Amino acid sequence: MVTTVTDARAVAETVTDPELPMLTLADLGVLRDVTEEDGRVVVTITPTYSGCPAMDAMRADLIRALRAAGHEQVEVRTVLHPPWSTDWISAAGRRRLAEAGIAPPGAAPRRAEGPIPLALGPTVLTVRCPRCGSADTEETSAFGATACRALRRCRACLEPFEHVKEI
Amino acid sequence: MTVVAEESLERHFEHTIERDQRIEPRDWMPDAYRATMIRQIAQHAHSEIIGMQPEGDWITRAPSLRRKAILLAKVQDEAGHGLYLYSAAETLGVDRADLTTRLIERRQKYSSIFNYPTLTYADVGVIGWLVDGAAICNQVPLCRSSYGPYARAMIRICKEESFHQRQGYELLMTMMRGTGAQRAMVQDAVDRWWWPSLMMFGPPDADSPNTAQSMAWKIKRHTNDELRQRFVDMTVPQAEALGVTLPDPDLRWNAERGHHDFGPIDWDEFKRVLRGDGPCNAERVARRRRAHEEGAWVREAAAAHAAKRRDR
Amino acid sequence: MSFDNVYEALSGDGDARWAFGTGFADPLAGVDTTVPPDVDPADLAAYCLMLGDDALVMSHRLQEWCTNAPDLEEEVALANIGLDLLGQTRMLYARAGHADGTGRGEDAYAYFREPEEFANVRLAETPRGDFGDLIAKLLVFATWRLALLQRLIPSRDPVLAAIAAKGVKEVAYHRDHAAQWAVRLGDGTDESHRRMQAGLDRLWPLVGELFTPHEVEERLARAGVAADPAGLRAEFDAVLDQVLTAATLRRPEAPLEPGGRRGTHTEALAPLLAELQSVARALPEATW
Repeated sequence: MVTTVTDARAVAETVTDPELPMLTLADLGVLRDVTEEDGRVVVTITPTYSGCPAMDAMRADLIRALRAAGHEQVEVRTVLHPPWSTDWISAAGRRRLAEAGIAPPGAAPRRAEGPIPLALGPTVLTVRCPRCGSADTEETSAFGATACRALRRCRACLEPFEHVKEI
Repeated sequence: MTVVAEESLERHFEHTIERDQRIEPRDWMPDAYRATMIRQIAQHAHSEIIGMQPEGDWITRAPSLRRKAILLAKVQDEAGHGLYLYSAAETLGVDRADLTTRLIERRQKYSSIFNYPTLTYADVGVIGWLVDGAAICNQVPLCRSSYGPYARAMIRICKEESFHQRQGYELLMTMMRGTGAQRAMVQDAVDRWWWPSLMMFGPPDADSPNTAQSMAWKIKRHTNDELRQRFVDMTVPQAEALGVTLPDPDLRWNAERGHHDFGPIDWDEFKRVLRGDGPCNAERVARRRRAHEEGAWVREAAAAHAAKRRDR
Repeated sequence: MSFDNVYEALSGDGDARWAFGTGFADPLAGVDTTVPPDVDPADLAAYCLMLGDDALVMSHRLQEWCTNAPDLEEEVALANIGLDLLGQTRMLYARAGHADGTGRGEDAYAYFREPEEFANVRLAETPRGDFGDLIAKLLVFATWRLALLQRLIPSRDPVLAAIAAKGVKEVAYHRDHAAQWAVRLGDGTDESHRRMQAGLDRLWPLVGELFTPHEVEERLARAGVAADPAGLRAEFDAVLDQVLTAATLRRPEAPLEPGGRRGTHTEALAPLLAELQSVARALPEATW
């Protein structure tokens, strides 16, 4: 059965994100685990955001890919804990984001115990332009096309680009 | 600038285009190229923003929470695309406020398709399938547009639109497996949106004044009629799989051409809607104008606050 | 995907790629939803509905801003916040359905209950108003909800704890966003200051309800499952004071009305639900 799990994991790791097809679910850290239970392949995924509308498509894509590879019995489970963090995006995932012109996230904020401090001012971040590498970039919108991205502009080459926000 | 210098810049520009390389914001470009690009990107951005309205009205009424989340995320994507495209236009030296003024004063256009009304929830699915599908056919070649920021924006936008199209089709598939009333809603929506979708590719080649220059500058890669034909060929089998009838008695496979033949398009209607006399033209622009005007005090406050901060 | 071949990528793959959807309606699919043995399942379900109703009704009011926001950045931000809250609603409703043993799905709660069965705080349902009203409401709502969700992370119900832990990350962004706007409006122009203060003043009587415990909350708080709303007040006040000071706004003095999630609503809820439920109720046999 080791081979079943190894093979199933390899297949699951090729499935891509429906909205960012240059990234696999494994790169994104959404694919949490692949195991085998009573002859079934059990794939565990976690949503990036509570309202993520792509979870159904991800489940369907995983099941379809695994069935096509000969794994008839497949179950996809959701796991909510621990909550997804951008720290889980792999090195390969970060490289592919940058290649697609999207600045990868920095380290997610570490939260101490107690009430979360309020951020009243604009957050000052150094984000490099994925096109020319300049650090002279500014945020133009804190929310981008999808929940996890902000919009920035490079002052050097003028490129508008998105930045995956740290959570 | 001397005439000689300008000629050499122009040669360099043409050479860049010939070698299929991209023009970037800080590169020299002819004024006419710049003006054409601004118009093209601005119209695309306006289309994303106006395009939020026909579907956006169904968010609060979406018939399941899952559909509500999908639709809200989609409309949010459109706003994000609009924002991104306005930023791309700004790399050419215009600003968004000015482009917005041109839109609400009806001096710049947006895609005519959004001047048709959405009458039932099936329209949400059909817009995803046909309208987004047609938009993708139009936009995929633009991923190779000669203007760098626009080409790169299109690559990302096409990927996201293709997910929208998939979700629209999936809604229709689910409705077709539902009740008779739902199937009738889907067919009715297809009947209303099919012809306007074909018009999205623009006038026939013989009647398209800007095509030749846009092809030479590699701003455009295929003619309107080529793209329209691809869309029809792609859509026919999808309609069969769905179990709906496309409302065209002349639609049939032509083995000799290797393409589907289809009936004549009502170009008078196209021109009427383009001119501003479509079912919802006035309403769409009026709403955009109202939101812009009602938001003026908020934007002024943000500017005033930013100025105070700088002065402290 | 090769973009020269996108037509094939879209159509060549056949319908299998697109025919997903049915059977995946449960947002908690595959989550272990066993209720801990000493937790009253009926109370747990009622509590999840309270928190879910708050999020659904607030999300609806945000959806009403779609295409009406003052600028495009805000268009995206409000949709984003509305989507986060909708996601939280779906998981909380699914939790309620698993806990109360009826197996009802999320849509049964959203679309087929009457206004008096909704247990949201009335603050969430107040009409859309202007952008000052919106920011006042979002600031109060997000500050309160963040304090609440953070106290649910150690909840003895593991599903509720996980939903809360996810929600905390999202609502922290919502609170910052509202607070930054409150400062811009309060310390912007005379008009924006006046409108922001008016928004707070109009809303304030309904703030008292946020800290009035319902007996379900009291029982579950004692059992280590819920958070006692009365205990959120100090954090709420501290955050509000910080924002109001930076924004040069004053804390309203209007008396706080008691309340407590007993199905008593303002006249704004019934029309909101009539709209939300209209399509689903027109075709009750339909599948979506």
